[in-house]
Amino acid sequence: MNVWLIAATVLLAGLIPCGVVMLRGSIVEALVGLQMAGIVQTIVLLLLAEGFHRPPFFDLAVVLALLTLAAGLVFARMLERWV
Amino acid sequence: MSVSSVAVAVLIGIGVVIELACCIGVLVMDDAYDKLHYLGPAAIVGPLFIAAAVVVAEALSQAGIKALLTAVLLIVASPVLSHATARALYIRQRDHIELDPRSQS
Repeated sequence: MNVWLIAATVLLAGLIPCGVVMLRGSIVEALVGLQMAGIVQTIVLLLLAEGFHRPPFFDLAVVLALLTLAAGLVFARMLERWV
Repeated sequence: MSVSSVAVAVLIGIGVVIELACCIGVLVMDDAYDKLHYLGPAAIVGPLFIAAAVVVAEALSQAGIKALLTAVLLIVASPVLSHATARALYIRQRDHIELDPRSQS
């Protein structure tokens, strides 16, 4: 267990407030919680990739950062128009 | 313990604390507009510290460059997402969005 893996484990606790907001808040607040969770997960993947010394794992973080943007835009557009 | 490993630990610590503080901010703020403010530092400051830690540990290797790329992606995406979310909330509350009066004259 190195400092990267410890940080990743600690940072995973940040998903709990995001989950609470998603479950208890309004639908737009839930979207904010989802975006926050995406950011936290991206950083956790960065920390895990470095902690396990697996450079290819960094690709997961890059892809998740892109998908977080795309998913957030799609949800925001949908909430704006239809839901 | 070398200087670089201390620097890495400090950078990681600052990044993680910023992220956790922003998560708590999202939880405790009252409405969605207030909560949106906490996405900014979480997507800009935190990833910068973590990417800096990776670069200090690995230099500009494949890992360092990908960490920087991830941080840049988050930094670019954050204002776009915040704007889109705030716009969606504004339209949901008012059922429309006012046109710019300058464009109507």
